[in-house]
Amino acid sequence: MLSRRAFLALGSAIATTPAWASLLPVGNHGAVYASAYSLNDKEHFFGLFDAQGALLWKAQLPERAHAPVVHPSNAIVGIVARRPGFYIDFFDMTSQQKITRLEPTKDHHFYGHALFTSDGKKLITQENHYPSGQGKTFIREWPSLKVLESYNSNGIGPHEAVFFNDEVLVIANGGQRTHPNNDRIVMNLETMQPNVTYMSLKDGSVLNSFTHDDPSHHQLSIRHLDVNPDGLVALAFQYQGEIWEPVPLVALSHINSNKMEYLTIPEPIRIRFKQYCGSACFDSSGKVLAISTPRGGLIAYWEVESKTFLGIKNCRDVCGLAPSDKAHEFILTSGTGHIIRHNPINNDAALLKKHEEKHWDNHLAQIIT
Amino acid sequence: MKYFPKFVALAVSVTFPLIASAGQWEGPLNGIVDKVVKQGYESYSISAEALQKSSHEFCSSPSEKNLNLTQQAFKENALDWQQVQWLNFGPVTYFMRYYAFEYWPDKKGVTQRQLRALSQGDPSIMDAPKFWTSASIAVRGLTAIESLLYHPDFDPMNSANHCSLLERVTDHHLESAKAVAQQWQESKAQDWVFDEEGMGFDPEEVALEQFLQQWIEHMSAVKDAKLETPIGYNGRENLKLAEFYRSDLSLQTMQKNLKSYREIYHSGSPSLFDIAKQSNPVVADQLEQQLIENVKLSLQLPNNFFKSDMPQEEKIALAKPLVKSISSSQSYLSSLVTSLGFQIGFNSRDGD
Repeated sequence: MLSRRAFLALGSAIATTPAWASLLPVGNHGAVYASAYSLNDKEHFFGLFDAQGALLWKAQLPERAHAPVVHPSNAIVGIVARRPGFYIDFFDMTSQQKITRLEPTKDHHFYGHALFTSDGKKLITQENHYPSGQGKTFIREWPSLKVLESYNSNGIGPHEAVFFNDEVLVIANGGQRTHPNNDRIVMNLETMQPNVTYMSLKDGSVLNSFTHDDPSHHQLSIRHLDVNPDGLVALAFQYQGEIWEPVPLVALSHINSNKMEYLTIPEPIRIRFKQYCGSACFDSSGKVLAISTPRGGLIAYWEVESKTFLGIKNCRDVCGLAPSDKAHEFILTSGTGHIIRHNPINNDAALLKKHEEKHWDNHLAQIIT
Repeated sequence: MKYFPKFVALAVSVTFPLIASAGQWEGPLNGIVDKVVKQGYESYSISAEALQKSSHEFCSSPSEKNLNLTQQAFKENALDWQQVQWLNFGPVTYFMRYYAFEYWPDKKGVTQRQLRALSQGDPSIMDAPKFWTSASIAVRGLTAIESLLYHPDFDPMNSANHCSLLERVTDHHLESAKAVAQQWQESKAQDWVFDEEGMGFDPEEVALEQFLQQWIEHMSAVKDAKLETPIGYNGRENLKLAEFYRSDLSLQTMQKNLKSYREIYHSGSPSLFDIAKQSNPVVADQLEQQLIENVKLSLQLPNNFFKSDMPQEEKIALAKPLVKSISSSQSYLSSLVTSLGFQIGFNSRDGD
């Protein structure tokens, strides 16, 4: 938590932080995108690029990071350290300077994802209380970063969470227990039980929660998710079992249902996923779902209403996904430095820019300016 | 086979000036394809044919001698597989052939269970046109053949059903091995990479990049799955997790893999080694020496290394130099290929 002096200074600074639209030299370029990237194993950055893929701003980070977090109204953007994460750095785009660093409370680490409430007054993080392995959802006041609430996430390994609405959080409890002293070794492979939990943000109560129907899928970690305007939640999995087992890798869920609906993938494509999904993302219309698999080197798309598999776009080491400002269109980033625009409906694809030296990290966030 | 690379080396996109021209990677790529992959699959399909013939001869005339001959044919075929095992790319990726050739580690005994079920059912179902294309990968290749020849649950000498199953599995195994060998003869590596339209895509470079990624990952598999895991290097010993432990091939398969690494490094004109010597001579030589060291150290391991009569502590002590040496090889190889401008995987190797 911030000291009183720092809090007063930060509060004052943030009170004057203008909205995104008044900042950044984006002209008529539309959206801006945020992602962590690395140059090598020692140099890590957080960057913003425009809709043409041109880098607008960057800041150096102490370690590799995972997912950006964007303030809904003020020009503030943060980046969450990758698991086991021990920092979230926040930047004021007015001054283009770092304004604060959030560190987890004692015996906790971040999972790489965080989100602001729609009014911008609270920050929500998924965390691991590593002595017990209990997954946690922390709610902090913004900008003081004072902890307001700390709820059990209703599982182990809460990785990504999204808002179902202003009062309900959907959490992907991945199920894997890890300890920062042991790198990323999964301590509970035989007993892991991932779940999706719909949690009330009023009191942390569980409104709905379910796991895979098939007990043999208990190692099918639910890791990433997105929600569309209809309240449909897309779930992307990572399987910890054998690479050859024919497990589902993508599903849809809804708060009123008590089970996941797996999306079919043609088997030759499913095999290419190598049991690993990297990101889940709906387009701006909420009708098209994109799932990236860096191990498979592709993005797979579905039309969600009919659950029709639309096809794939090949791209080595691709992981970052964000909607563009156009329906059916996505921006993709890869570890090979590519920034690509792709529309799977009309199959229009364009390489926006290849940053030869940059390895774009797992997640990409869109900032509407 | 499941690979879990343990180390992380991020790709550094520094393009070596001498290799910027088109066709620059033809030498090592064609060399590896011709010498290691095509020849490797040719040998593999020839020994698969010998295994199939031997199985049929054994089943038509069951005897200790014929069983031994079939077991020997199996061993030769399993060792030929080691030459190409590092590359899960191209024809072998179709119809799950890679995992069907060797279903390992079979931690849950799926192969035995499914073979038992098959041997108790109507054998004619295995003659149905599409039986093998939809059959479980656990019963389609070397792991199943090893079980039928060595597992106490199976007695092909005295059971016609078991021997009939052996014949059918070896028939299918030969068909798959031949198909992969044939497809390699008729194609180039570039034909098997997935096109990234409009992305400034060079199939030659991407193909070699994927070869290099797979080689690095295979080093992890040899170190972790083949060497460390069965002997309990970091935990409990479980020798049944060793590769082909029933046929007592665990040590030889590892030695064969480590020998094949030098062939990968030196194949082609220029070879990867030749190119590396120009651009990064120090690391090029370090890798060369380390690959030689791997072979020497693996040959120093005693024949009973994967046997229960050797205490675990002794195994760990003997394994330590080889574990260290393979790790160093990985580091040198990663460093070398990234300095040549290849991406060895960022999100794909170390995502979350």
